[in-house]
Amino acid sequence: MNPGADEPRARGARDAPGTAPGPVPSPRRSDQDGTAARRPAGTPAAGAHARRHRLPSVTALVLVGALCAVGLAFLAARFAGMVRVFSAEAVTALVLALATLAFGFWVLCRIRPVRDPAAGPSLTALAWGLAAATAAGVVANEGLLSVWAKSLGLDFAGSWGPALTAPLNEEVLKLAGVVLVAVAFPHALRGPVDGFVFGSLTGLGFEVTENFIYAMNAVVQAGGTSGVVAVVQSTIVRVFLAGLGSHWAMSAVAGAAVGLLAAAGWRPGRRRAAGAGLLVGLAVALHWLVDAPAPGGMGGLLSKVAVVFLTTMVVYFAFRRTYRRRVRGALASEGGTLGMRRSEATALATRHGRRRELVRVAAPQRPAALRRQEQMLAVAEDRAARYAP
Amino acid sequence: MAETAAEEPRARRRGPRSDWVPLGAAAAAVALLVTAWPLLNALLPGSDSVSSGSPVPVGSAGAYEASLTFPQEGWVLDTGASQAGRTYRFSRGPVELTLNKVTPVTDPPPDALELWEGMRRLIRAGEASARLGEPEAIATRDGHEGLTGILESRTQRGAAVVYPSPDGRMAVEMTLAGRDATTADLAAVADVVRSVSFTREGG
Repeated sequence: MNPGADEPRARGARDAPGTAPGPVPSPRRSDQDGTAARRPAGTPAAGAHARRHRLPSVTALVLVGALCAVGLAFLAARFAGMVRVFSAEAVTALVLALATLAFGFWVLCRIRPVRDPAAGPSLTALAWGLAAATAAGVVANEGLLSVWAKSLGLDFAGSWGPALTAPLNEEVLKLAGVVLVAVAFPHALRGPVDGFVFGSLTGLGFEVTENFIYAMNAVVQAGGTSGVVAVVQSTIVRVFLAGLGSHWAMSAVAGAAVGLLAAAGWRPGRRRAAGAGLLVGLAVALHWLVDAPAPGGMGGLLSKVAVVFLTTMVVYFAFRRTYRRRVRGALASEGGTLGMRRSEATALATRHGRRRELVRVAAPQRPAALRRQEQMLAVAEDRAARYAP
Repeated sequence: MAETAAEEPRARRRGPRSDWVPLGAAAAAVALLVTAWPLLNALLPGSDSVSSGSPVPVGSAGAYEASLTFPQEGWVLDTGASQAGRTYRFSRGPVELTLNKVTPVTDPPPDALELWEGMRRLIRAGEASARLGEPEAIATRDGHEGLTGILESRTQRGAAVVYPSPDGRMAVEMTLAGRDATTADLAAVADVVRSVSFTREGG
């Protein structure tokens, strides 16, 4: 493709790489909030394309909002008694949960290559995991666990019930949230890298609420004695020992599948559909491994966490590598039309590279330079998402 | 699993699928999971009769395993509301016996009075109107000591009992009550709360 063939060119870009004065072509909106269409603005199909997305997008947002509200009300009613009586324990659990949430959100936004995900879809994914998916998970898990206990016996269900229940229910419920984010913000979730990030954020939200629930359950398990100790112990195990291989990781793997499907306009070919199916199956299998009764003990827990984390990293780096290559290619061709050297243009593909380029610009020109960097990145990411560097 | 550009012509030829399809699929999946399992659970029978005189293991921790032996016939276990090794719900007519195995997290472990106080708070968390009376000493048929007291709430009246295991690493807590249970119903099975045993594992 001839980059920017339908776009005006910026001139005089040699002074500071990636910070050329004058207008940088901005055929597409630089925001990722889902309001922009996937096609270049100004093309005849852009309006129709945006209209095609608008109603499902609004519907998905309303659905997410409504289910999060219902989920939150359900969880509040469910734990109101515990919070009322064990308020010190609940506050401790909440503070630890919020710290986990803040740190996890920061890290998972940073793992997106090139630049952070947009705030709107990120917070939507997080909210789905925090409230809607967790509340639905409580209902679905209780129902299925009881089914196993009644049909397979109490002892078998006690050992294998979680492994036969949570992977199926929870992975599907979290995945549904990633799909809703993809529909609500079609411009933000356009490939497996985006799916991975929004999946991980959905999983993080789920994990944080589940940590709170487990902390309250730990108080019950301890017989209501030394509740704060029980809460802290539960959090240490779930965050510091098992955190690397928990919900964020499994949902990231499944979320990448949503990205694969969304990138194909939800009409995948056989190979892509098989790839998406494999990713979802892998996420379910990893969850099953975590919940399986064997191997047990501390060694078993740590080995399971290692398997989940390493598998997730393999998936992440595979998609990250492809995506960064595409973005660098798009930046190179975009920079070429602006008279930039290839190395200067491709440096914009990383946060560090952009900062380095900005430092070289005189302070008064930095805001404008920053804006132009963002515009170039928006164009490059748009092309990378459409596989047309 | 790399994205294949070769597939793109297919999507371009047929055009993208409507966003309503994934939206509907996601909504349907959520609706299915939160309705199908509870419905299936409600349709399945979930009561196992428990024979009298046979010990029912109810959990282990530390060096001991706890069990419960029913002195009367007619008790049934609600399997759907029970969790192996943690929570058991039995019933006999209008009388309900809920047994929880708890495992304290501190060393040294809490004594019986601290466990009673913990149970008092847990019961209040479960039902705001529920109150435990002052505890009195009780002993199992094996002579193992614990505490018991009256359980009262807006909907029911009965008894609560707690027995710490000999090494204190776990405790068995029970409530014997029932919304429709009369004093006579409760009196007829009152000795069930004394039928807890702690057996040293491997011993």
